[in-house]
Amino acid sequence: MKEDFLQISDLKKSFGSGEAKQDVLRGMDFTVKKGEFCVLLGPSGSGKSTLLNIIGGIDTPDSGYVSINGDKLEDMSEKQLTMYRRRHLGYVFQMYNLIPNLNVKENIEVGAYLSEKPLDVEEVIATLGLGEHKHKYPNQLSGGQQQRVSIGRAVVKNPDILMCDEPTGALDYKTSKEILALIEDCNNKFGSTVIMVTHNEAIKYMADHVIKLRDGVVRHNDINEKKIPAAELEW
Amino acid sequence: MKNPLIKRIPKELVAEWHKYAVIVIFMVLMIGVVSGMYVGHDSLMATINAGPEELNLEDGCFELKKKASQELLDDLSKGDMADVRSYFIDKGTKEADEEVAKAIEENLNEEVTKAIEDAVREQCLAFGITDEQMIREQTDAALEEKLEDALEEARGSEDFQKAVEEAYSEAHEEVVKAVDEEWDETAKRYELDEEGFVPVPIKIYEHFYREEAEDNDNDGNRDATVRIFKSDSAIDKAAFIEGRAPETDSEIAIDRMHASNAGAGIGDSISIGGRKYEIVGLLSYVNYLTLHESNTDLMFDSFGFDVAMLTPSGFDRLSSRVHYEYSYKYPEKTDDKIELADRGNRLLKALITQTLVHDNEIEDFLPEYLRQASNFAPSDIDGDSTTTAVLCYVLIAVIAFIFAITINNTIEKEASVIGTLRASGYSRSELVVHYMTMPVIVTLFGALLGNVLGYTAFRNLMMSLYYESYSLPPCGFVWSRTALVKTTIIPLILMFFINLIVIVKKLQLSPLRFLRHDLATKKRSKAMRLPSWSFLSRFRLRILFQNIPNYIVLAFGVIFIELMMCFAFGLPDSLNNYGDKASEMMFAEYQYMLMSSRDSDNEVIETSEETAERFSAKTLLFPRNNDAKKMRAFGSGKDESVTVYGIADDSSYVSLASEGTYISSAFSEKYGLGAGDGISLHEEYENKSYDFTIAGVVDYDGAVAVFMDRKSFGERFDMDEDEFSGYFSQNEIKDIDEEYIATVITSDDMAKVTVQLMHSFGSVIDVFKYVLVVLAAALIYLLAKIIIERNEHSISMVKILGFLNGEIGSLYIRPTAVVVTLFAVAGFAAGYGLMLYLFKVIMLSMDGYFRFFMKPVSMVLSVVYLLIGYALVSVIDYFRIKKIPMDVALKNVE
Repeated sequence: MKEDFLQISDLKKSFGSGEAKQDVLRGMDFTVKKGEFCVLLGPSGSGKSTLLNIIGGIDTPDSGYVSINGDKLEDMSEKQLTMYRRRHLGYVFQMYNLIPNLNVKENIEVGAYLSEKPLDVEEVIATLGLGEHKHKYPNQLSGGQQQRVSIGRAVVKNPDILMCDEPTGALDYKTSKEILALIEDCNNKFGSTVIMVTHNEAIKYMADHVIKLRDGVVRHNDINEKKIPAAELEW
Repeated sequence: MKNPLIKRIPKELVAEWHKYAVIVIFMVLMIGVVSGMYVGHDSLMATINAGPEELNLEDGCFELKKKASQELLDDLSKGDMADVRSYFIDKGTKEADEEVAKAIEENLNEEVTKAIEDAVREQCLAFGITDEQMIREQTDAALEEKLEDALEEARGSEDFQKAVEEAYSEAHEEVVKAVDEEWDETAKRYELDEEGFVPVPIKIYEHFYREEAEDNDNDGNRDATVRIFKSDSAIDKAAFIEGRAPETDSEIAIDRMHASNAGAGIGDSISIGGRKYEIVGLLSYVNYLTLHESNTDLMFDSFGFDVAMLTPSGFDRLSSRVHYEYSYKYPEKTDDKIELADRGNRLLKALITQTLVHDNEIEDFLPEYLRQASNFAPSDIDGDSTTTAVLCYVLIAVIAFIFAITINNTIEKEASVIGTLRASGYSRSELVVHYMTMPVIVTLFGALLGNVLGYTAFRNLMMSLYYESYSLPPCGFVWSRTALVKTTIIPLILMFFINLIVIVKKLQLSPLRFLRHDLATKKRSKAMRLPSWSFLSRFRLRILFQNIPNYIVLAFGVIFIELMMCFAFGLPDSLNNYGDKASEMMFAEYQYMLMSSRDSDNEVIETSEETAERFSAKTLLFPRNNDAKKMRAFGSGKDESVTVYGIADDSSYVSLASEGTYISSAFSEKYGLGAGDGISLHEEYENKSYDFTIAGVVDYDGAVAVFMDRKSFGERFDMDEDEFSGYFSQNEIKDIDEEYIATVITSDDMAKVTVQLMHSFGSVIDVFKYVLVVLAAALIYLLAKIIIERNEHSISMVKILGFLNGEIGSLYIRPTAVVVTLFAVAGFAAGYGLMLYLFKVIMLSMDGYFRFFMKPVSMVLSVVYLLIGYALVSVIDYFRIKKIPMDVALKNVE
């Protein structure tokens, strides 16, 4: 039995004030176990990105808390939060967010530099199939290749949690499946906990844990007993 | 309907107010200073230009050794050359005739006497008389009786007449030959035998002056030399800034600038030539806008030199010698320099020839257009405004490039918006106009505000700078159209075109490429491979490569600022260096130039001072090359004045290694001359030139000088062995009557350049240094801001990834820090080199020599000041990086 790694407790967050006040998270509770592939599923405005930002320590809740391995993020100073992200998190974004003036290898090194236990950069490049592109700049790559680099930058840190925010949102069907397979591989191979935000219902079938959100609350919190490999997903 | 995009402009101004504030302040200051200079310049020039008419400025002057006879003045007024050849032939013939007549008479007397003596002796011998005593007595008697008749008879003979004619004719031929030889050479040198010489009629005015010792504080010590003119002078009159002209013999009016430096004012009393005078007026002579004592002086000296006005009877009471200066004016006015030079040359020929035939000598000749005292100030004021304007334009061009880079960045950032607008039907020109609006508005605003300041505060500031240095007349206010045009139109044009080119080029791309963010004009196949340095070093290197265009603009800015720094530090350093070395630049503590080596009793002037040592000296001219002559902005415009010294053997003041001609290190450096080179020096108003081969260089920076031993000097310049020009002495010489002393030079005189320039620029230079720091900081601020804005997304991203602010700072600030440091050092080297070159070019056109010098500590400070400016910016940058939110990277921008 895997132990609880990430705990979300009565998390609330709103934006604006007065009549314009909008409650984005309205008391959210769930836990994620170590090494789990967790998918946060929900439509636009369900609060999934806000939740991811709070888990990532780049936003703060109005109330409730997030605890990782027993450490509450609310107790941490700004510097400690930075160190938390540095040591424990890897990020994959929908729009890749690569550094435009660094080449592929250097973008992956950005992740390696931050980690105390980085993976071998060349090995990650090879795993991601980026060997022949490693000296290219991001703007010389296709969207799928850029997302691979983004994954490389995240996994090379060997992070405890891999945060993926709509990683296939900007990709075509075929490339999306390749990217999902890569994330799946990383989860299996390196044992990182994966938290993936998506609105793509099909992705839930490859996850261990599916949390469905709507209007700022958890609607369903299911453990997927029969997960299927990413390569077999259809949508 | 108006283009809705226009609404972005005020919002952009508010959002980026600090950036635009820096740019506007920068522009307002630059344009304000230049506008102030132009307005000040136009006001001053209007006053200066009105002077010649109102105050009857001469067209030139000449000084004669003695008072000119009325005949000489009449002949000079006609402006024609005297027939020197005929004059000398007549004179020579007359002298020859006298000599021939004397020789013939002596010869005839001798011949006839001998004939009588022989005849008497023959007769005596025929009579058997052999006693010599008797023969002598007979001879004397015969001579007394017959000599006159015999001489008369001989004179009447045909042979004698023929012989006399031949002797005269031969003598006359000799005279003509000798005069012709001398004339040919002189005529060739001064081009006196030109065909069709056109006379230059002039109106001549007496403009005599005396020079006296001035004692400002009545403590018995000489404080300055004062040149005194009469109050009734019809030429070169004075404008009164305060007070009036003297009316009694005990009243005096003196130069305003000198009075200010001496701390004297109306009502104070000063001593002139041992007498006390009350100052009743502070004036500015139209031909002494700067107090140049001599036209060959390197710099004017409003501390040690003064010009003053006394009543005619007050003038006559003085005892110092009168300088017989005559001023002249041409009946027809011209401003054409070529015509003026031509008139000057013709007049000089007339002057040379007329003084020769009227038995006088030229001491000095100076056409007005070459006079430093009246031309230095206007040409300096002109030069200053031009230089400042050029500097302003360079800076505005730099700002324009900064603007262009910023807009380039904005276009990249807004690529998808631009793509959408273009796809929706917005034309390229509409977008060009949109992006051009901001730089044009900012420039217009900066120019207008700058001009308002230029016409008010800066104008007064600029004028006060000039009034602190020059003896200018009272000045009114003139509206300057030049200022408005040059400080508004030119900056606008610069800003407009530089931005237009960049923006048009950028917006050439198709809407699709904007939508795809595909804005690179050149496709990169692969990234440049970097050496296997640490990851962070490679990261920084990439940032550096990414921002090369910014750094190129920065390089220009830094070189420009370092050049200014070199000026700001180098000028006072050079002045102080000159001042510090002034005593070393003296051969002796005192250098006495005597009027003549003999006194009125024809006795050699001696002194009991033990350290005194005789020397000989002579001033000759060294021809400048043509390039230097073209630069007439400074200096007398004439050939370089060189002092040739004859030094005593085993001199304790100047040591010459061996026999031969040596030159001073100043001479050597200024003209690039060294041992083995040949130089030719010539007299100013005589047809003589002297060739020398340089044997070596004497370490002496004080003047452009030539040295040789006194014996060689005497041989070369045809001087007697006991003739000399003055004394070098370690102590003051007290036993030589003042009337025999022409000048005394002490180290204070050498340092007067320093004192004057430090007084004129000292306080401004310090302010200038701090302005440069602010300027440097502003430039770097604007460029560094672009670098950080450009990388805002990446910075936000690495923050999310877990980079600390310090690490991000080191990634994004350090490359700029390294570049700024390297540029500061390289910029300093470039600026220093440029300054050395500029200084040398200016020096070549000036008289004398002044070395550009920077103390090592100033060199370091020139770089450090700029780095201090940068340090301020990097602190701002650090906080700017810290403030970049992480959600920048989280926003879903394509």
